[in-house]
Parts: sequence; structure tokens; C-alpha cells
Amino acid sequence: MPTLDIEKIKKEVVDSQLWRSVFRGGVWKDTPRDRAAHIVGNVWLHLHPVKVRPRALKWSYTWGMGGISFALYLLLTLTGVALMFYYRPTVGLAYRDIKDLEFAVTLGRFLRNSHRWSAQAMVVAVIAHMVSVFLRGGYKKPREFNWGVGVLLLTLTLFLSFTGYLLPWDQLAIWAVTVGTNMAGATPFLGNEGPFGGLMGMHINNDVRFTLLGGTMVGENTLLRFYVMHCVAVPLVVGILLILHFWRIRKDSFSAAPYQANEEKVEVWPHLIKREYIAAAGVVLFIMVWSILQNAPLESIANPNVTPNPSKAPWYFVGLQELLVYFDPWIAGVLLPGLIIVGLMAIPYIDTNPKGIGVYDWKERAFANTMFMLGIVMWFVLIYIGQACRGPNYAFYPPWESWYILKAAPPSTWSVFGPAGVGALPILLGIPVIGGLFGASMLLPKLIQKELNGKVVLGGFLAALAVLAGVGMALGKFGPVSGAFMLFFGGVAFYFGFILPQRHIRSLDWPRYLVTMGLVVCTMAILLKMCARLTFNIKYVLTIPAISLNI
Amino acid sequence: MSEPTDKPSTPPPAAAPVAAPKPAPKPAPMSRGDFLWMGWSALAAFFAASAAAGARFMFPNVIYEPSQKFNAGPAKSYDMGVSTKWLNEQRMWIIRTPTGFYALWARCTHLGCTPNWWGDQNRFKCPCHGSNYTMAGDVIAGPAPRPLWRAKIDLSPLGDLIVDKSVLEDMPGKRELKPFFVDYASAA
Repeated sequence: MPTLDIEKIKKEVVDSQLWRSVFRGGVWKDTPRDRAAHIVGNVWLHLHPVKVRPRALKWSYTWGMGGISFALYLLLTLTGVALMFYYRPTVGLAYRDIKDLEFAVTLGRFLRNSHRWSAQAMVVAVIAHMVSVFLRGGYKKPREFNWGVGVLLLTLTLFLSFTGYLLPWDQLAIWAVTVGTNMAGATPFLGNEGPFGGLMGMHINNDVRFTLLGGTMVGENTLLRFYVMHCVAVPLVVGILLILHFWRIRKDSFSAAPYQANEEKVEVWPHLIKREYIAAAGVVLFIMVWSILQNAPLESIANPNVTPNPSKAPWYFVGLQELLVYFDPWIAGVLLPGLIIVGLMAIPYIDTNPKGIGVYDWKERAFANTMFMLGIVMWFVLIYIGQACRGPNYAFYPPWESWYILKAAPPSTWSVFGPAGVGALPILLGIPVIGGLFGASMLLPKLIQKELNGKVVLGGFLAALAVLAGVGMALGKFGPVSGAFMLFFGGVAFYFGFILPQRHIRSLDWPRYLVTMGLVVCTMAILLKMCARLTFNIKYVLTIPAISLNI
Repeated sequence: MSEPTDKPSTPPPAAAPVAAPKPAPKPAPMSRGDFLWMGWSALAAFFAASAAAGARFMFPNVIYEPSQKFNAGPAKSYDMGVSTKWLNEQRMWIIRTPTGFYALWARCTHLGCTPNWWGDQNRFKCPCHGSNYTMAGDVIAGPAPRPLWRAKIDLSPLGDLIVDKSVLEDMPGKRELKPFFVDYASAA
């Protein structure tokens, strides 16, 4: 009886012309040569080096978030393409097609859920990736440019989410996009409601918002435009940037982890690839389970005339929505996001600290890490307030309070410098005063050359604020809550906007110092403006209605 | 390759005839630098024009949006105060005062949500960022930068209110006059 010689069959198959034409190399013997060939001989894997430093493999070092973001991007492409087979982007059909996906298409609901949850998970993963790279100083020379590409990819991830948001054509969709695109209408110079827009001849039917919408309101053209951007244009750009991002990582020795003596590199196959597959499998499993347990939200069909109450942006934009309560749209919707993006991209060029490259070292990077994490924490605190603490009419409701309790109408507001303001004369007086304050805040930390005792100075400042607040309360100008706001916001802004820069960056060269302080002072100005609204009901610090300029 | 490297020197040409005037050496039509400059400029101009054309392409010439003018029904059918009858269809509030009518466009001037009318507090409140307006449309709280827009409103010979949303006004002093206000003293 002839025995089945598995080894012989295997050899014959592998040696056949068909097999060899597809997979080059002979029988796998797991030699170092085989392992190297597996990486360099494979178009998908060859972006990896053959060997990496062992530290680049540790989950505690990488957090795995870059790879997980990419896995989610692939999953989104897959589920997105599947959804496209049943979705028609027209006002009359879009919502019905989503309903069909929910109730009539086999696995339709599961696919839509997967797509929605992957998108939200990707936003989280990309932000976490950015945080991990920042905290380990991974953006420093020579990786400055790739950090910038990463910031663009984060922006595009958010933009993809935003464009995808409109497609179900439900109430959530149309109002999120109405608000989002109206912010574009508030762009300085280019938007019909923005500062100087009128001077530039902008109208509702020729400004940047009109291009985005393809009309004067969110309608048929908008849906088609967002569909094309969401499914084709933006994913293409993201794909190109991803290739660039990966290629740069590969060229920059794959990991910023510093070389150590006697460090033996390990083979990428199987050590790294194995981890990547495990992470991808984990991601797929996580999204599948979540999509079975939790349905993607779908509200009633879009009504361009009636807004749900309250109406909220997708959670990752709710922080922005919360800022819009305190700031004019051109600041909260255009200037601040622009500053965040540009500021993030500028970080590698203004942070010249040669220490802490490729290691988590808070002490060596105290100032950079503190400021960055302050921004991240502010972003998520604002999201929490907007998501959990805002009820009907966008009034403030603590999470435990019922929305059926009707809140008292908010108090009237006033402006400091403006036609009806106390100071009046916005141009003659307001601009010099605000400019002077801004300039002084920027220059002061560098002009004081001797390092101050932070505890004493902060204590003195808080004591002075407390006296002020006490006087204000005694005079009946405001209550204890306002006093507490004053102490909190004032203290935070003073500590992060004056004491820390004075301690850490006063010896930085002027150009870098000014850019850094500009970003720091802007961040603190956000806190102070919120404080001014909460404590004194100040609407604008400065307003010039003739050119729609409100600060 | 097979060319001999040392060419046999050709004999000097015969001396030119003395009588023939020597033609001046033709000036080069263009220097190499100028030519390249022109070429690159043309290419840059082409890309700039393409970008401009691409941008222009994104502005539709014809848009299919609903008419901005509508008949809001007989004036005598309205009670005093704010009517939300046309909110769902036309996004307008028709407001009747003791002296007449005006029409407010139900679009928050902050970021374009539709506020709700709260009769008990006598104000419009926006659900998106919390702007508050009086019945006249003036901002009293929240981030909205300017008053609500009033639309052109007319009384037809049959006694119907005709509202035109394409003609808007928000300036106090102007918005209370025609054509943004219809005198309609009594229910008669």
C-alpha cells in the first residue's frame, strides 16, 4: 500500500511552475534568510525593515495606535464599499436606502453599524496615536515633516467623519452639516457672514460656503458633493498621505527609540508582523461585537426647517460646539481650528529641546508635555460638557438633572468695546487695550530674566483674585459661583500662561519664543473669555458690527 | 566608436571672395535662459489657470432650490403674537402685532439652526448654541451676532399675506417699515 508522502507532495506543489510564479522562494525552512525574504519579497510587507529594535515592538512603547488606525481605515474602506452597493445619494432616496440597509438588506444593519463604529474608533485611535507620539518625543528631528503629515491625516480623518455624517440624511445629519458649513460662511474674507466678507463682495451665492454646499442651503447638491468627497476624493488624498507617512517611518529607522548599547535587533517576521495581525484581529473582533450589540443612531428624516432640541454635533466636534457658545463663529469655527492644526504642525520646529527623543520622559519635556496635555484635556472636558451637560435650548444641565425641568432664560449679555459697550470706541480704545494686554502677556515671561518662585507668585495672584472676588461679592456684583469661576480660570491661565513659560522657555530664541507664546496666550485667552462670559455675562470683548468683527 | 579620434585636419577653406559683403552673424532668436523662463512661466500659468478653472467648476451656475416666495394665507386668520404655522414648510414665523404683520426668518444668525418659540418666556431660543431672541428678533442672550432677519411681506388684494424670503432686512428703523411690515390695524 503506497503511503501518502506529505513532504513529497508539498515539495512538488511548491516546486511547480504555478506556485513558483506566485510565491518566489522555495519550501519555508524558517531560516533567517527565509524570514528576511518574507519581508523584502512581499509588496505588502516590504514597507517594514527586516529587523527592528526590540523596544519598537513593546505595546507600552508604541501603544499600537498607528497600526490600529490603519486597520480601522482598511475596515472602513471594506464596509464603506459594501454600503455603496445599496446607497443612492439623493434627497429622495438616501434616507430610504439607509432604512433599507437597516431592515431589508441582509447584514445591512451590521455593515452600517461596523462602518459607523469603526469611524468613531478611528478618531479615537488617531488621537491616541498622536498623544503617544507626542509624549515620547517622536516628532523631533528628523521626523518633523512626518509629524506634519500625521496632523493632516488627523484633520482628514475628522473631515471624512464629517462628510460621512450627512449621508444618512436624517435630522442628526442635516443639522450637524448645516452648522458645520455655516462656520465656513463665517470665514474671514471668504465667507458672506465672516469679518471683511462684505468688503470682499461675498454673498450667500458666491462664498466658500456656497462651494461647499453647491447651493445656498443643505440640499441635493450638498448631499452629492459630500458623497463624492466621502467616498472618493478624501480617501484618495488620505491614501496618498498614508503612503508618504509609512514611507517616511521606514526611512527614519522605523522607530524613534534611541539606540542602546548591546542591543540586538529582532526580526520583523515574525515578531512585529505577528503583533500587527493580532492587533488587526483584535480590532475586527471589537468592532464586530460592538456592531452586534449597539446600533448606529438614525433619527427621523432630515427636515431643513426644524431643528431637534437640543441639537448636537458628533461627539468629537462637540468640544468645538461648546466653544461656539462663547466665541463668534469665525473664531471658534475657523480661527481656532486653524490655529490648532497649524500649531500642531509647528510643534517640531519650535520645540528644539534635544532631550527626550523617543522616550517617555516627562521631566525632560515638562513644558511641552504639560502644554500639549492641557490642550488635549481641554478638548475632552469641553466634549464632556457639551455631550453630557447640555440639554434643551443648549442650556446647562448637570448629568443627573432631568431635561423636563425648564431652565430660566439665560441672562442678558453685553460687550466691553463696541457701539453699545461700556468702553465704546472699539477701534481707538479697544484694539490698543486688547493688543497691549496680548502683547504684554506674550512678552512678560521672557522679559523677567530671573526665575520666579512659582508657588509664591501663584499664591499671591490667587490671593489678589480672591480679594477682588470678595469685594465683588460684597458689593453684590456677582455670586459665589462666579467668584469660584474667577479663581479657577484666572489661576489656571496665570499658572499655564505665565509661571510655566517663565520657568521653562524664557531663554528660547525670539522667533520660537514668540510663536510658542502666541499659541500659549491664545489657549489662555480661550479660558479667560469663557470666564468672562460665565462670570460677567460678557458677550464680546470687542465688536465692530460694520465689518462683522466680533472677538 | 569606430570613428577615428584624430580627424585629419581639413584644409583651410579657400579665401572668401573679397567682393561679397560679409553677412552679420544672425542674433540668436532667444537666449537659453529666456527660453526656459518662458517655458516654465507658461507651465506655471497653465497650472494656475487649471486650478482657477477647477475652483470655478465647483460653483454651480444653476441651482434647483425652492421658490423663496409663498402665500401665507388670509391675514385675518392670524391671532395676535407669533404664529408657527409656516415653520415646518417655509421656515417663517408670521407675527401679528396690534398694528400689523411682520415675518421673521426662522434661521438663527449664529450658525443657521431653527430656534423655537417659547411663548411663556416671550423669546425664541436656539437649540444649537443657546442664542435667545425677543419677539422683535433682537438678540438678548447667547452667541448670535445679529438680529433675526425679517422678510418682505405684502398684503394681496384678496387679503392674503405674501412673504418673499429673498428680500431681507435686520436694521432697526428700516425693518419696521414697508416692505417689511404690513399695516393691519384691526381684525375688522
